[in-house]
Amino acid sequence: MKKHGLILLTLALGLSALFASVAFADEPVMGGVLRWHEINDPPKVDPAQVTDTTSSRVVYLMFDSLVENDADGKGVTPALAESWEGSDGGKVWTFHLRKGVHFHKETEGQPTANGGREVKAADWKYSFERLVYENSPRAYFLDMVKGYQDFISRDETGAKEWAGIKVVDDYTLQFELEYPFAPFVAVLAYNTFVVVPKEDAEKWGKEFNFHPVGTGPFCFDKWDHDQKLATKRNPDYWRKDDAGRQLPYLDGVEIVVIPDPTITYEEYKKGNIDCYRDIPDEFYEDVQANYKSVFQERPQLGTYYYGFNNEMGDFAGPEKLKLRQAFNYAVDRARISDLVLNGRFPAARGVLPPGFPGYNENLKGYEYNPEKAKELMKESGYPDGFEVELLVNNNPRHRAVGEAIQAQVAELGIKMSIKVLDWGVMLDLCDRGEVNLFRMGWVVDYADPDNFLYVLFHSSNKGAKGNYSRYSNPEFDKLVEQARVDTDYAKRMELYQKAEQILVDDAAWLFLFHYSNSLLYQPWVKNIHMPAFGDYTTPLYNVWVQK
Amino acid sequence: MLSYILRRLLYTIPVVWGVVTVVFILINVVPGDPARLMLGQRGDPATLAKIRSDMGLDLPIYQQYFNFLRDVAKGDLGKSYRSNEQVTTALLERFKATFRLALWAIILAALVGITAGVISAVKQYSAFDYSAMIIAISGVSAPVFWVGLLLLLAFAYNLNWIPGVGYGDGDWRYLILPVITLGVRPAALLARITRSCMLEVLSQDYVRTARAKGLAERVVVGRHAFRNALIPVITILGTQISDLLSGAVLTETIFAWPGIGRLEVEALINRDFPIMRGGIIFMALIFLVANLIVDLSYGFIDPRVRYD
Amino acid sequence: MTAQQIRKSGGSLWYEAWLRFRRNKLAMVGLFMVVSIVGIAIFAPYVAPHDPIKQLIWTEGKEAKLAAPTTAHLMGTDLYGRDIMSRIIYGARISLQIGIFSTLVSLLLGVPLGALAGYFGGKVDDFISWIINVIFAFPFLLFVLAVVAVFKNPSMVVVYIAIGVVQWVSIARVVRAQFIYLREREFVEAAKALGLPTWRIVFVHILPNALAPVIVQATLGMGGIILLEAGLAFLGFGAQPPTPSWGLMISEGQRYLGQGIWWWAVFPGLAIMYTVLGFNFLGDGLRDALDVRLKR
Repeated sequence: MKKHGLILLTLALGLSALFASVAFADEPVMGGVLRWHEINDPPKVDPAQVTDTTSSRVVYLMFDSLVENDADGKGVTPALAESWEGSDGGKVWTFHLRKGVHFHKETEGQPTANGGREVKAADWKYSFERLVYENSPRAYFLDMVKGYQDFISRDETGAKEWAGIKVVDDYTLQFELEYPFAPFVAVLAYNTFVVVPKEDAEKWGKEFNFHPVGTGPFCFDKWDHDQKLATKRNPDYWRKDDAGRQLPYLDGVEIVVIPDPTITYEEYKKGNIDCYRDIPDEFYEDVQANYKSVFQERPQLGTYYYGFNNEMGDFAGPEKLKLRQAFNYAVDRARISDLVLNGRFPAARGVLPPGFPGYNENLKGYEYNPEKAKELMKESGYPDGFEVELLVNNNPRHRAVGEAIQAQVAELGIKMSIKVLDWGVMLDLCDRGEVNLFRMGWVVDYADPDNFLYVLFHSSNKGAKGNYSRYSNPEFDKLVEQARVDTDYAKRMELYQKAEQILVDDAAWLFLFHYSNSLLYQPWVKNIHMPAFGDYTTPLYNVWVQK
Repeated sequence: MLSYILRRLLYTIPVVWGVVTVVFILINVVPGDPARLMLGQRGDPATLAKIRSDMGLDLPIYQQYFNFLRDVAKGDLGKSYRSNEQVTTALLERFKATFRLALWAIILAALVGITAGVISAVKQYSAFDYSAMIIAISGVSAPVFWVGLLLLLAFAYNLNWIPGVGYGDGDWRYLILPVITLGVRPAALLARITRSCMLEVLSQDYVRTARAKGLAERVVVGRHAFRNALIPVITILGTQISDLLSGAVLTETIFAWPGIGRLEVEALINRDFPIMRGGIIFMALIFLVANLIVDLSYGFIDPRVRYD
Repeated sequence: MTAQQIRKSGGSLWYEAWLRFRRNKLAMVGLFMVVSIVGIAIFAPYVAPHDPIKQLIWTEGKEAKLAAPTTAHLMGTDLYGRDIMSRIIYGARISLQIGIFSTLVSLLLGVPLGALAGYFGGKVDDFISWIINVIFAFPFLLFVLAVVAVFKNPSMVVVYIAIGVVQWVSIARVVRAQFIYLREREFVEAAKALGLPTWRIVFVHILPNALAPVIVQATLGMGGIILLEAGLAFLGFGAQPPTPSWGLMISEGQRYLGQGIWWWAVFPGLAIMYTVLGFNFLGDGLRDALDVRLKR
């Protein structure tokens, strides 16, 4: 009986698999080139230097990290590391590497310097140390790894290596931390922490940016600046699909650069580009009406806010708390989102986006309440309103939201003027705190509340390190520090929720929206799934085109 | 002649030095720290200091200036802050695209503008004259990018006559609309100038003499009048080079053309100073050389012009 | 001839020029167009049917957003339900302000420097001509962008200065050429012989005679400046929201062009064309009437 059952089951499974493939024609198709749009030429594709989404898009095509963010942004999944474990109270992390992963054998039609050899633990150590040699702006994400300080100031200390990174054997890599750091594994999913072959990186030096070589599903092929960046299928990619077929299905991916959004949308309609990410608000209704079946959108793990300067100026200090709160009550987020952003951005009550680890359903935030706003304004000594200047960087969406808020809070007597600045100028002013109110956004780097609460609000991060609102509260600091080192997940989340409530009560920001991701693609693009981490991280190794 | 060229070339040195200096001053007073921009939205001060010293931004201003002068004199424009690409490589690559666009725009403008101007002058106060001049003045009255957008929407996306935007791997069909967009202004300007110069020449004694001798009107207009009217027209062509390069900034953005104008605007926004200053110096040199060529061409058109 | 006589004959020259101007149809059309725009700008509060920055979406909801032209809103509304026609009418003020103030800046720089170079010649001329040549060699749109970027507080004044700082060289060239031509004339010799101070000769005797080409150049330059503002706005520089600048309106509205929402970008474009056309017709007419030949 048992035996029969098993045979029957196998038969049924086999039949249904056969049936499915015939009936739905959902079989992957090999070949074809996918044309992916970006708004500007990627400034750099050397993973050590990447800080923007366009460049990250390219890096995700050609490189791999130890771990990857899962599709929902709740944690990480294995990539080039098959498994890992923490020990010594979260101070030591050991990674067991996947075997049989090879570097690209070919690039730009030529053999690579490494010749397509296997990735070993020593390559990882080299890749991490290279970040420091190349002054990577993201190397400091790992400043808790033992020996970091010595290694960056190696001119004085004479350090020859990054001591905390150890090659145990060919397939085992170990990190030793200065202190227990719970989000450590999540940080390693960041797209700077990928493996590169020493031979090619040293052959090209600084020019590696124009001749990148990695382990990813696609190999670099050709870069016509301001036009397109072409990649080709990596035939030795380590991933196979469930049926055992070699991935990727596509012959290549081309990054197509078109700067003007109006034209980009027309090019999409004409069929000249296959994927258009981050659809601007002005096309949203049209997309909804005509392309709903090939349009994906989902909340992005990020928050859009207007920061108050909590340290100096018109909104600083506990004496201006009621003013900050009044402002928070004065803005009708849902309505603005509905009218100007097509309702795409959900209103934010606090800092952490919904669905993110530590998100608090019961957080007490600010609803639109003009009466309360007026009352608080009166209590803080501004019964008839006040004047404020908002700084925004030059972008149609920020201008649009600014203009809407400007008109809306004017009803309460808040005269908000808008100053549009270049991003570089704005960063400068914010770094130095020469601002009262500024627009800023934060999209997550790694899937842990630490990335929001510690980075953006801890008093040691004031200025360029992320705390632009120059918030400082010892009680809050203590909570997030504690959450950083604790290894008990549930306990940590509880600490973060407590900390977030303090922030919200202090009205450190004008909390506005959470971001939303969107991806528009052609009907012939199959099996494409946009992850919560961002449209620019959409994996393409298992996508195929069927025309 | 040779000594004239030499003198002119010598004179470009102080002008280029002036351009280099003004660019240097501008870059140093523009707010926004390029090293800071390399960090993205956040970064740590230690890395910032390292990047800054890599860029040579920690040197005293006067030393930065002299280093810059020395490098420019050697023809070394440095490397892009953002991408680390050699500036000269980047500029030459983009200039190829801009040159292709600007050259065809000038050819189109010369063909259409000069022809229309000559006919207008010969048939002064005719219906052709009036409509050509009204079109010409309208042509210089509309914003370049607005015209480009409307053209694109009409011909590429509604009528589908044009495959799309971008460089199109050199396919000439991608060239049509940007060339028209960029060529409208110089064409209109040339038409007006040609007309007024032709009118003046046609009213002069030697033309009347030629007519009195019984020469065919075609010969009078073609050989005598046109030749003399050409000098101011060519002068205008010279000044248009600068306009064309500027117009290219907007045209290239609309048409996703991988040219030098777009590169420069992005460099300004991203504070990529080596690209920015290199590009401005490069464009200034092109302007100066083009004007030298224009001045020299007078001699070929009118042998009476002497260079002394 | 005494200086007095020169000025009298100068006066009749202007009158003759006006007679010539009046006979030129296109010139008169241009004058009408410019006067009409100036009139609309001055009387904007009386001409405009609505408040140009009033956002109707807050009171009337989504129906007021991007509404096609109707009798209530002759040119439709924009994303915030603002009346486009009223914004265009108030926008005339912005465009004219930019045109006028930038031209003023360029005149303030260009006339004295051009006069100095032309009158004194020699080293002074060499120096000023060098500056002129340097600025001419710059790609001018980039130069304006860079100058705008220098200021941390973007405002209209910054735009005036940036444009003026670039535009003055063409004025200076014209003035310089006029002064070189005029300084050798008899009436200047006469004035010198009378022992008049140099500043008097320059400003009272030569300058009025050099004005005609300056006026023509400045008028033709106005059109160029208005176009330049549109270009700056398209690239995201210049006017700050919610200023109803035509350039800003086009650059915001152009994103909806492909979806049949044409009124937001097309009407301000037409307004720019109308105004620039007016200045160009007027400038051309002035040139013919004043018999000016512009050297480059």
